[in-house]
Amino acid sequence: MARFHKTILAGCLMLMPLGAAAQERPVVVTVNYPLKFLAEQLLGDAAEVVFPVPEDVDPSFWRPSISDISMIQSADLILLNGAGFATWVDRVSLPRARIVNTSAAIEGSFIATQSITHSHGDGGEHSHEGTASYLWLDPTLAAAQAEAIAGAVATRGLAPADDVEARLESLRAELMELDAEARDALAPAQGIAMIATHPRYQYLARAYGLSVASLEWDAGAMPGDEDLADLEALIEDTGARILIWESEPPAAAIDATNALGVESTIFNPLSGATAGASFFEAFSGAVSDLADAASRVPGN
Amino acid sequence: MNALFLAFAYLRYHWGRSLVLVLVTALILFVPVATQTLLSTSERALVARGEATPLLLGSRGSQLDLTMAALYFSDERPDPVEMREVETIWNSGLGIPIPVHTAFASSGFRIVGTTLDYFDFRDLTIADGRGLSVLGDAVIGADVAEALGKGVGDSLVSSPENLFDLDGVYPLEMPIVGVLEQTNTPDDQAVFVDIKTAWVIQGIGHGHEDVVTAADIAAGTDALANAAVVQYQRITPDNIESFHFHGSQDDFPASAVIIVPNDTRSATILKGRYLDTEGPSQLIEPAGVIRGLVDRIFRIKALLDGVTAIIAIAAFAAIGLAVFLSYRLRAREIATAVKLGARRGMVLRLLAAETVTLLLLSGGIAAVGAVVTARNAEAWVGWMLALGA
Amino acid sequence: MVRIEELTFGYGAGGFRLRVPDFTLQDGERVAIVGPSGSGKTTLLNLIAGILTPDQGRIEVAGTEVSNLADAERRKFRASRIGFVFQDFALLDYLPARQNILYPYRITPALILDAEARDRAETLAVACGIGDKLDRHPSELSQGEQQRVAICRALVTKPRLILSDEATGNLDPDSKARILDLLFERAADAGASVLAVTHDHELLPRFGRIVDFAQFREVDAA
Repeated sequence: MARFHKTILAGCLMLMPLGAAAQERPVVVTVNYPLKFLAEQLLGDAAEVVFPVPEDVDPSFWRPSISDISMIQSADLILLNGAGFATWVDRVSLPRARIVNTSAAIEGSFIATQSITHSHGDGGEHSHEGTASYLWLDPTLAAAQAEAIAGAVATRGLAPADDVEARLESLRAELMELDAEARDALAPAQGIAMIATHPRYQYLARAYGLSVASLEWDAGAMPGDEDLADLEALIEDTGARILIWESEPPAAAIDATNALGVESTIFNPLSGATAGASFFEAFSGAVSDLADAASRVPGN
Repeated sequence: MNALFLAFAYLRYHWGRSLVLVLVTALILFVPVATQTLLSTSERALVARGEATPLLLGSRGSQLDLTMAALYFSDERPDPVEMREVETIWNSGLGIPIPVHTAFASSGFRIVGTTLDYFDFRDLTIADGRGLSVLGDAVIGADVAEALGKGVGDSLVSSPENLFDLDGVYPLEMPIVGVLEQTNTPDDQAVFVDIKTAWVIQGIGHGHEDVVTAADIAAGTDALANAAVVQYQRITPDNIESFHFHGSQDDFPASAVIIVPNDTRSATILKGRYLDTEGPSQLIEPAGVIRGLVDRIFRIKALLDGVTAIIAIAAFAAIGLAVFLSYRLRAREIATAVKLGARRGMVLRLLAAETVTLLLLSGGIAAVGAVVTARNAEAWVGWMLALGA
Repeated sequence: MVRIEELTFGYGAGGFRLRVPDFTLQDGERVAIVGPSGSGKTTLLNLIAGILTPDQGRIEVAGTEVSNLADAERRKFRASRIGFVFQDFALLDYLPARQNILYPYRITPALILDAEARDRAETLAVACGIGDKLDRHPSELSQGEQQRVAICRALVTKPRLILSDEATGNLDPDSKARILDLLFERAADAGASVLAVTHDHELLPRFGRIVDFAQFREVDAA
């Protein structure tokens, strides 16, 4: 009898227009992992969130193929990070009506980077003002991006507005908790000068009062002699004691840099792959690794 | 039957004269019908396009120029409107703004820089290839493809012009990645590109080492740039990363912005915001502008009808005279027929049969012409409207 | 064949008057009418054919009193009983010879164009020596050939009487006799009488009887 009822119910559902549940879910495309994470937190099962960049590619330098573009163009919502992240969007045609720049409301909090000056043709010199892009390394900015996503999702009716609102509340609370946790953990590191192998940590540094200078090393590669010389000079300049890698370097690289008197730690900037960890897990893991590194610095 | 036999024999024997009479009569019958068909189709096409475009935002100036440029891709170049206006509309949440940038042309067809929303808005579908994807991509209208004999895999070069007097602006070579279905609207005569590509043509966006030279083409390589022998720039997978835009996108130009308001209320609110005649922008309803234009066309048509009527009267008088003279020439035949026992009525029947045959042939030709016109009216009108623009 | 009694006809006041007290044409007879121009010879032919109606007197053709017939009857009578041959041939330039011969069938419902009529046209044309020219238009034929076509047209309806109005007037002297002989032969074949107006005196011996028309003409005293 119960089974009979189930069949009837299933039949009714299929006949109902709302049997669109059987249809494909709306698709949301994001340009980096943090936005994917935030969107998934807010949407639950209501939509499929796609982050199209393969694991071994840095999303900052990713260039979509024509089929990627066609998939993105057909998405119901395209979440951009703004702040100069993923410049490929400037060179690809996207449906403006479905694009949301998640950082539009927090442009005032952007950190400007040094300008790059160049010239071409007979157009004279001109410069590009750079903007630091890794907003989410400050969880309060990530919360602002989450709000923008929630707003866009609700306006477009991709998920029930009440559900999204409730999820946003808890997401915001979790991010604030993460922020508080990082603040506590990194408080002792505030006096220690640090160097990053790549300029990724501007917002992290600002949020937690860290001083981080940057190199321009290739991620995950063995630094050459010239790179090491740059590092040595920068240590000289800043008195840095900690070297932050964005991904696991060769063991020899750590030996080489340790020899220069800095503690190595890995802080995944989280723009792409997280090796299965969630944003929260990866972020708090990286923060505690950094705190550990700070505690290993003699004199602390 | 006998009257028709003789009439037909007569017309066939004097085929030259019959042909002229038939053609002239057919023309007189056909012209007003064809004019009427084409005009009413034009009116419908014009009004349809106008009514399908709810609101148009542009720089203050001629409303007709703005409408012609944004809806029919005419040669008019209204003052550009800044993209910040587009963002303003987005932020208002009252409608979808679709910028169109029509300042450039390629091979005599207008390059329309816009966003993907335009294709959804006009319900344009790709007949061959794909839609716009990458900076530099061009999707061409059906008539462009036919006229230029180009398709997916070919390329177009923007016409060299230095409209805004910017340094280093070279024509851009654009790969054709898609051909649109025929729509019998001005969209058939447009080369669609992303508005960002239009900005590259304008020199607002550019790349480095992106210039193809005559020497490169000759050498089969376009890796190096030499500003002295520049021909045009080309966006390739190798140099696309170097393309970038200077300044804030808010300052970038569009020729006009089509606005699709969410509802009547939104439209009213939007219109209210642009009422200030001192402001740099105006928000117009193209349908009203087009109706004004159509009214003018139809005033001209009234004049045309008068001229046609006078010509028709003159032509019928001439035909009447020709027929009368031919009857006079046949007075002897009539006398003979009467002597041989014909009734006078028989003679009249003979002449009537001739006239009726002539009219039937003319009417048939005119009718065929009218049917052909009616069948092709939409295509021809689309072509004429583009030609006029 | 033709019998005229006490016929008078005038073209209104001041014109000439025609008076024929008595005139008879026997069956199969070939009569020439001679007389000065404007003496009313053609008028007499028109009266006999029923195209004109006499003021007084009676005209009887093949046993029918023409002057008593109603209009429609008279046309029917003319179409079926009388053949005409004209000085100017009166052929239609837009019809080929065959259709010119059959023309009488095209213009009156009194005659039915059937296979027999078509055969007759063919036979007549062959007998007149134009059997191979039936598809030509008059402009492609010589004058003699055109008159042969006209003779065929006059005979195709099997008339009892041929009225010839200067039938040889436009022909060169060599052709005149041949055409007239042809007309006589064909009329004889068909059993038709011939009444011919002519100015060609050298042809008169070929006729059975000659009537001087001057005797019939009266100039109004006024």
